[in-house]
Amino acid sequence: MDEVEQTNVEQNDVLDVGYTDVPGTMLTDSNAIADFLKKTKIQDVLNWGRKNSLWFMVNAMGCCGVELLATGMAHYDTDRFGIIPRNSPRHADVLIISGYVTKKYLPALKRVWDQMPAPKWVICFGDCAISGGPFYESYSTHQNVDDIFPVDVFVPGCPPRCEALIQGFVELQKKIEAKKDKGTDY
Amino acid sequence: MDANSIISSLTGKFPEDIYDAEIESDIRTIAKVKPENVVEVCRYLKEDLSFGHLCCEFGVDYPDRNEIEVIYVIGSYEHPVILTMKALLPRDNPEIESVVPVYWNANWYERETYELFGVKYLNHPDLKPLVLPEEMLGEWPLRKDYAGFPNKTARNLV
Repeated sequence: MDEVEQTNVEQNDVLDVGYTDVPGTMLTDSNAIADFLKKTKIQDVLNWGRKNSLWFMVNAMGCCGVELLATGMAHYDTDRFGIIPRNSPRHADVLIISGYVTKKYLPALKRVWDQMPAPKWVICFGDCAISGGPFYESYSTHQNVDDIFPVDVFVPGCPPRCEALIQGFVELQKKIEAKKDKGTDY
Repeated sequence: MDANSIISSLTGKFPEDIYDAEIESDIRTIAKVKPENVVEVCRYLKEDLSFGHLCCEFGVDYPDRNEIEVIYVIGSYEHPVILTMKALLPRDNPEIESVVPVYWNANWYERETYELFGVKYLNHPDLKPLVLPEEMLGEWPLRKDYAGFPNKTARNLV
């Protein structure tokens, strides 16, 4: 009887709780399910859902931010692509870097990026975010933002029109569908 | 009051502190002031000559003369004359009295001049960087000999 009780105590240890003896089940606190699904056709269905609900973070950083705000307004009706502006980074999927990144603003932008739940994507919007633009040799701006963030789409222009941003979203949708985006690990 | 009477009143009140005065036109005057007594001159300008509006305050770097100029542009609502007052400071240790007790809006102007040129304002209520991050303090990026510009061109520009 003593031996049986001791084995029961060991099986009730928190670290040892597992369902490996139950066939056909996996633990949900590991990446095993996600890693398994990435190899199957179900990932295509997931990507179809993701690419049609790209909610972007309203983070107007410069004069391109005006175009960013105008894109989310009713005139362009981005709901037909599933693109909705969100005011909280916790709801957002896409971070749009819409201006020059100064040395003082970079920590705040990194914090916004860290608060967004994965999978998440980055769009560089405008010449300032791509290359620095007129401020490319300034003492207070960061060069080469794509070293810091995994940028998927660059939208050039000074500032780009709203249609260009929608085109950038469409290109991002194509990349997600082709599984070539940087926001998800394949 | 016109420009002539303002300059004569100013040089008559401070014959030693205002060591150079000039009338550019009917509405623009220039005066060079010694940096020790800039607060007294500003108080006289505001209270007696009704120069109540400090339009801006900034610095100019002159490496050849080894000087930094602090320039006050002071306007008035009473008469159509703008006074440009200059104070010349040594470049290796620029220090000047703060004019915040007279013109309260000089607060942020002086903080910006401090972070960009390194002009230290004595008795300033809150002398800390205005726009630049704290770790850039001491680089003085608007001086002519500043060398901290990014030396590598942005890669995507090429």
